[in-house]
Amino acid sequence: MDFPKTADIVIIGGGVVGTATAYYLAKSGRKNVVLLEKNTVCSGSTGRCGAGIRAQWGLELNCRMALACLDTFEQLDDELGLPTGLNQGGYLLVAYKEKEWEQFKKNVELQHSLGIKTEAFTDVKRAQEICPGVAVDDALGFTYYSRDGHADPFLTTFAFQEAAKRHGAKFCKFTEVTGLKTDGGKITAVETNRGTIECGSVINCAGAWAQDVAAMAGIKLPNWAERHEILITEPVDPGVCPPMLMSFSGNYYIQQRPHGSIIAGESPAHEPLLGYTSTVHSVASIARTILKLLPRAKNIRVVRQWAGYYDMTPDAAPILGETDVKNFWHATGFSGHGFMLGPVAGQVMTALLNGDKPPIDPTIMDYRRFERGEKIVEPNVV
Amino acid sequence: MELIKNHPILEYAHGEEVTFTFDGKELKGYAGEPIAMALHANGVHIYRVTPEMKRTRGFFCAIGKCSSCFMVVDGVPNVRTCVTPLTAGMKVETQKDKGRVPLEVC
Repeated sequence: MDFPKTADIVIIGGGVVGTATAYYLAKSGRKNVVLLEKNTVCSGSTGRCGAGIRAQWGLELNCRMALACLDTFEQLDDELGLPTGLNQGGYLLVAYKEKEWEQFKKNVELQHSLGIKTEAFTDVKRAQEICPGVAVDDALGFTYYSRDGHADPFLTTFAFQEAAKRHGAKFCKFTEVTGLKTDGGKITAVETNRGTIECGSVINCAGAWAQDVAAMAGIKLPNWAERHEILITEPVDPGVCPPMLMSFSGNYYIQQRPHGSIIAGESPAHEPLLGYTSTVHSVASIARTILKLLPRAKNIRVVRQWAGYYDMTPDAAPILGETDVKNFWHATGFSGHGFMLGPVAGQVMTALLNGDKPPIDPTIMDYRRFERGEKIVEPNVV
Repeated sequence: MELIKNHPILEYAHGEEVTFTFDGKELKGYAGEPIAMALHANGVHIYRVTPEMKRTRGFFCAIGKCSSCFMVVDGVPNVRTCVTPLTAGMKVETQKDKGRVPLEVC
């Protein structure tokens, strides 16, 4: 493929948000969609994530978005023609603090009103039915929604990429954006290390690097990269951790892929340092957490650990929509939830660019909310 | 026994002879020597069966790196038998499928 000289829409970033956006745009009939990725597809935050998908949120907006994502994921294999590795073992959320449990109960009320049939209970035996042998005697309560789960971020992103290509989208890997050209407050071209592409619109899906990309057009985004660590064990017989076991106050998430490997992570305890280096502190801390919760896992060996970035915003909610520079759009700032929200973000961006009604109203996710001092405050985040 | 008895350079000082079981069958080996070595000495060459292709696996790297000699030892799956010392009364089993992790802590 020759390097394109022109494009209708340029998408910057080959994570799940970028590839999903490319797919939905190409599928909607947009010609000449070009995705630029400075490394390989899925090499950034998507390929390093915990891969959870949940509808258990505390804000109506997030519940609606996540529910739309579950609906999408449930038929995505058929739609894209490739597997996404979806595994719906539910999310078992564990509350250890009085205030947290009170909030959970409020969240569940909201979730029920939106058709998310979350179960809230205090019986440890019920928790052990869902996750055999889980040691949670110190917990105050639990919520569980069986449609939640996790998928394979690589398979999902590759499936979006292949389907997008079938609809005519072009993917340029190892192509780094070095500048954005504007004329009269309007985007006109994208400069890369491989040449310049004249284009109609640009969508910034650069995740943890979105701030740098936005700055090329003079837009100041308040995003920052927050480093998180995660590990994976050797595969064992499935059933050691059937649900995504997660706690905000307990600071952990543990899941077992259908293949049998257990993936677990936690939020950083120390001042986040940048870089993908893994630390001994982290592997020890996560392993201790797994042992406390799932004592049976004590002989299972860790085979890998790695680090990745959460693309954080001040209110941990995404930035979706157009900017002060015309035709320069953003789908970024997912703050650790980009994988689960990626497919719907792609649908919303496609509708916005096509002038259609988006499945979720993204007005509130405008990046100017931070200048206005507004925040989208979600109680259910890690 | 398929063990080298006389080596031109090395000398062997075997530990105590102990009894262990392999898939329920009683065998003899030397305490402190790798489980895989004791099995090899008894003519056992198949240690596990791969989960997907159902292929047999045995001794390969012999230094605890390759996962070829994974067996279930005293109920614990995925034990690297080539680097795990044999003890008296050990219950060694061929590993089929992925390791099953029992609910009760071993």
